[in-house]
Amino acid sequence: MKPSQFQHHAPEQIGEVVGLLAQYGDDAKVLAGGQSLIPIMALRMATYPHLVDIARVPSLSAITASAGSVKVGAMVRQAHAERHAAVATVPLLAKAIPHIGHFQIRNRGTVGGSIAHADPASELPAVALALDARIEATGPGGVRHIDAADFFLSTWQTALDDGEILSAVEFPVWGAHSGFGVEEIARRKGDFALVGALAGVTLDGDRVTRACITMIGVGSTPVRCHDAEAALIAGGATTDLDEIGRIAAAPLTPTHDVHASAAYRKHVSPAIVRRALTAALKEARS
Amino acid sequence: MSSPVAARFVGSAVHRKEDRRLLTGHGQYVADASAPRMVHAAFLRSELAKARLNSVNIEAAKSAPGVIAVFLWSDFHEKFGEAWHGMLGEQLVVPPPLAIMDVRYVGDPIALVVAETRALAEDACALIEVDYEPEQATVDYASAAADSNVVHAAWGLPSNVMVEVPFTPMSADLDETFNSVEHVVETTIVQNRYLCVPMETRGVLASWTPGLEELDLIVATQSVHETRNFFARYLGLDEGAVRVTARDVGGGFGQKMFVYREECAVVLATKLLGRPVKWIEDRLENLTSAGHSRNELGKVRMAITADGVIEAITVDHVADVGAYTPCPAVMDPTLLPGPYRIPRLGFSTQMVWTNTMGKAAYRGPWMFETTAREMAIDVAARQIGMDPAELRRKNLLSLAELPFTSPGGKLFQEITPLETLEQALGMLGYDEFRKEQAAAREQGRWLGVGICVYVEPTSMEQATLATEGATIRIESSGKVVAFLSTTSHGQSIETTMAQIIADQIGVGYDDVTVVQADTQSTPYGPGTGGSRTAVIAGGAAHDAAVAVRDKVLAIAAHMMEAAPEDLQIAEGVVAVRGTPDRSLTIKEVATQAYTNAHTLPVDVAGGLEATIRFKPKRFPTWSNAAHVCVVEIDPETFIPRILRYIVSEDCGKMINPQVVEGQIFGGVVQGLGGVLYEDFRYDTDGNPQTTTFLDYLLPTTGETPLIEIGHLESVSTTNPGGFKGMGEGGAIGAHAAVANAVGDALAHLGVNVTSTPLGPEQIFELVQASQKERA
Repeated sequence: MKPSQFQHHAPEQIGEVVGLLAQYGDDAKVLAGGQSLIPIMALRMATYPHLVDIARVPSLSAITASAGSVKVGAMVRQAHAERHAAVATVPLLAKAIPHIGHFQIRNRGTVGGSIAHADPASELPAVALALDARIEATGPGGVRHIDAADFFLSTWQTALDDGEILSAVEFPVWGAHSGFGVEEIARRKGDFALVGALAGVTLDGDRVTRACITMIGVGSTPVRCHDAEAALIAGGATTDLDEIGRIAAAPLTPTHDVHASAAYRKHVSPAIVRRALTAALKEARS
Repeated sequence: MSSPVAARFVGSAVHRKEDRRLLTGHGQYVADASAPRMVHAAFLRSELAKARLNSVNIEAAKSAPGVIAVFLWSDFHEKFGEAWHGMLGEQLVVPPPLAIMDVRYVGDPIALVVAETRALAEDACALIEVDYEPEQATVDYASAAADSNVVHAAWGLPSNVMVEVPFTPMSADLDETFNSVEHVVETTIVQNRYLCVPMETRGVLASWTPGLEELDLIVATQSVHETRNFFARYLGLDEGAVRVTARDVGGGFGQKMFVYREECAVVLATKLLGRPVKWIEDRLENLTSAGHSRNELGKVRMAITADGVIEAITVDHVADVGAYTPCPAVMDPTLLPGPYRIPRLGFSTQMVWTNTMGKAAYRGPWMFETTAREMAIDVAARQIGMDPAELRRKNLLSLAELPFTSPGGKLFQEITPLETLEQALGMLGYDEFRKEQAAAREQGRWLGVGICVYVEPTSMEQATLATEGATIRIESSGKVVAFLSTTSHGQSIETTMAQIIADQIGVGYDDVTVVQADTQSTPYGPGTGGSRTAVIAGGAAHDAAVAVRDKVLAIAAHMMEAAPEDLQIAEGVVAVRGTPDRSLTIKEVATQAYTNAHTLPVDVAGGLEATIRFKPKRFPTWSNAAHVCVVEIDPETFIPRILRYIVSEDCGKMINPQVVEGQIFGGVVQGLGGVLYEDFRYDTDGNPQTTTFLDYLLPTTGETPLIEIGHLESVSTTNPGGFKGMGEGGAIGAHAAVANAVGDALAHLGVNVTSTPLGPEQIFELVQASQKERA
């Protein structure tokens, strides 16, 4: 469980990062917090002769609030984001972070690294998808933006092009009377979710004017539950949330692993959605 | 001439001598050791559960950067001698250090690479080309005996059965009893495969010094002496030419009691290379290639009268020993009736080979008797409509009716099974809990309580295990050094033995230093395991301390012109009883003993040192406990959570209550882990599925409930301190207690829990199946 030899690059400008990625191509990998990459290399599931460490690029560690959104640099540590005043305006992000692993992992793990890694059981890709975040990608051709809805292609696969780095994520800020809930079940605290749901609502009285429901652990990407969102908006805040849960779960085709079967994951999904929505509605009403 | 000494340290939770170095990260494990010119080893291991090795090409690996050597079986062939362990005997030979012609489990070592660093050794392993000819593996142990696909066909063996004991009735009227009672309960109990998982993996730093022709081993082991004896035989050396040490060992639990083929390979490598070779097993290797445990099943039958008296119990038992077993320790069926008044017993046993990692001892290696009986008792209680606590109450032995000889031939005395059950149920408030449970069910909440009562044979006598030794020396400074035969791997031995010795000599706890796990300075010991330290090593420490105290008294008597029997020692001062101003310090006595020995009487030799071996009066020394566990299962997610965990135990006189409770905590967590979290799985082709801590889930503090402990102290007469062993009980009792709690929580749904693990997926499946059956 020792990684094979690699060269560690420590650029200080985003331009250098992109340059190194162009120079080494498939032999290079971006190193952010290392919480997924390093174990993968130690187990020799993957071998990269060049690691491009982005920890020393100041622009990647910035959190900037602007009208209607908060931009989180790729290298912002999860623990830092969790406690940051600007991130408090994106409650779903702040609520999701404590579910990531253990505090030691969140101290090193980064917001951008988790989203770029695109594990289907991870919380942060789901936050991005739920909130319609915009992914900022920087490559040889400059900066472009990718909607979260178009970003997650499959397990560990994203819409980033070869040579591109995820440089920041812009999370929209929802207005007043909004509430959010994160519910997940894991074998132990800090484990990958067997099934999880992230939900958000905006209320106007009992009217639901905005809703998002995203599930994790139930497919090869985080899954946005559009039909359930539409049913909730149509039915309002007093809708039978079990029914919303069933609508959310109906199209899911989860896979199995040693921790849970596909049937188990599908069976428990409605309740998890209901719990996340219950929390979101409670917060929105308060 | 010894008079009894009032205990000052025994019985109290003195600070642990080990804590300063261990808690500040200064423990000395194998990975901390180094030697000049040391190089590092890595194994290339089989990726297939069963295959012929057509060829192994090591040319590229040999010329890889930093590589010193690449070894195959052919390099080791005829370079070693006898390969058997003193505790297991000559018949059980450690398998060859590397695979010969074929591989028989995933992890079977094929090649050993030695390089400048471990990383370079792993790089070189990746360059070795193995041409496998895959064969169908035998993985399911329940069907392995009848499987014509034989794991060890290459040895010419006809079947997968390693050991078979046909059904043996221990009582003549067994059949009549089953035919005449009101209730016959029959159920098959299955315990999953889970592992020791010590924090420190296996590891060895082996140094052969040419010219000196000596072997030095620093090794993660539970027994330095048996490791020395093994390698003396293995290399054809005198024992004096082999030194084995183990300053700190980060957990063993049985996994490190014996010698493994990997250690043999590393020893051969240092011998052939003439330079120190270090192998630190990584976690992937430890999970897949160190010994595996549990993984047994038994069809249990019980004959029960209309009023709940268990008249007979039988089991048909099958245990998986894997491909090569480091220690084929499985259920002891003669213990099946446990601490119950059950008069009749019968059993059969089958130990079968499979193409999986081999069986190793694990904290209570015989414990499936407890799992099988206690889970079956809950099945019986449900079947006959009796409360599981009541059914146990009716049949458990109590102290007042001992001695009792069980149908398995066990003579029980000085145990308190019913008493511990009552204490544990009282701590819970069992009747109130039943009301709370009923109310919770009305609200759709699933609460359950599980009980497990067992008797633990500690300090057993098999093979090398009956004795331990101690050499105790009071130095000329008056300080005490105790050289013990133990090899601690986390038992607080330096602390507890110092408590005994300080009391018996009459010095301060801080004046005693304990030295162990060094074959060049300590008396022979078979190894630390089997809950033997308090009773046997404690007996040796006690008796050696008394012998040294008597020497102090003899010399002091001469110096003070008093009779030895008129002297007493307290807090390092020898004084004449009733005349405290006539006194000498132990240091003054020691000075006399060492530097003026010529002035002592002719029959007093000088020096203050004694070596004693101790053997208990009887075997085993029984201890016992009752566990009670309360769980709640989320009816929507099927996630189980432990709400309360209670242990009432009787380990006789406690040397150190904190150490006792620490042993219980650790054992309980291992037992509950095996039910709720830990499950080592292979697929049907023998590929391991849980090879990292991402998939092999250990309980952490977050999953561990507060463990409430009640103590009963019925003193043992097998040893001078009145102690009983108690190192394994936590792990023995927790499994059935937790499984039964889950079963009780689901009982109202018609679910019958008979197997583990019981994670959310298994609970979901049980509930689904029950609903289908009812529909």
